[in-house]
Amino acid sequence: MRHLYRALTVLGSYRAQRVMGVATLAGLAATVVIGLFVVPPDATQGDVQRLMYIHVPVAWVTFLAFGVVFIASAGYLKTGRIQWDRVAAASAEIGVQFCALTIVLGSLWGRPVWGTWWTWDPRLTTTAVLLLIYVGYLSLRKVADSPARRAKWAAVVGVIGFIDVPIVHESVVWWRSLHQQATVLRLGAPTIAGSMLATLLLAFVTFTLAYGYLMAVRLRVGRLEDRSTVPVSSLPAPRARRPRPVGIPAPAPADIPTSASAEMPTSVPAGQPGPAPADMPASVASDSHA
Amino acid sequence: MRDAGYVAAGYTLTLATLAGYRWHLAVRTRRARRYVTAVTGRARGWRRRP
Repeated sequence: MRHLYRALTVLGSYRAQRVMGVATLAGLAATVVIGLFVVPPDATQGDVQRLMYIHVPVAWVTFLAFGVVFIASAGYLKTGRIQWDRVAAASAEIGVQFCALTIVLGSLWGRPVWGTWWTWDPRLTTTAVLLLIYVGYLSLRKVADSPARRAKWAAVVGVIGFIDVPIVHESVVWWRSLHQQATVLRLGAPTIAGSMLATLLLAFVTFTLAYGYLMAVRLRVGRLEDRSTVPVSSLPAPRARRPRPVGIPAPAPADIPTSASAEMPTSVPAGQPGPAPADMPASVASDSHA
Repeated sequence: MRDAGYVAAGYTLTLATLAGYRWHLAVRTRRARRYVTAVTGRARGWRRRP
């Protein structure tokens, strides 16, 4: 657990983010060019099969994201550290978007091949249920009234909700389905042409990188938002940023007692402006702490 | 190219989703940073001295 969080912290550094961002952009460009113009079309489906190079990797990232939610939620329930909750929230947010994208891409692929935008097929239905579970997860995070309660409730849903992921993956095996069976992640050799497999693997790497990049950025946002939602009184005291008006002497260091500093209380609550020197006008005194 | 519309729509939607989410995160980052800076009075990248 600790190693996983440390790896995520390393991924969150500015340099790692920049490298991942550039690699993701390059990978996306390569995937689009190769997927659309280089690889030959499918013998039976024609060009519409080119949607496979984004539909399948996007579905893979959905599973990956919800897997991370599961691990982070279990980590939170085990350790109670809020960092795990932050990881779970970030991954769920990304996973929901990829899950919705998976459904839309599948629909775009299904229309010309199956002749329908949507059908209550086991794979499609379980995927829709998966999307609803994690939309519910994100909604639950909005309604909880305290960070600790929010983290606890969300962690429970994050662990239980993951049950649907293996069901989605195995749905085409367990039930009669319109959706095609696994062609890469299966026992035995993949049933796909070499050039198509290579393009698909490139897309897998690219979308995994995109997930890593978005996670790194989203974790940074999460840390900032957590800082901005803590009570103001627990933040460090503000510093005066405006130039001191002419004629007002700078306060003496704390270790040199003067008449002014001797009158100052020694414990000023963080976030609260301290009393102004006696010779400072009231408006300046209030402004200097804004 | 047959069914080019579906393929183009799929690729465009995917790239637009990724770009849109990245833009959304940039907006959230800026907003949170502005708030933290306003409250603490510390500029971006401020670090506590050892």
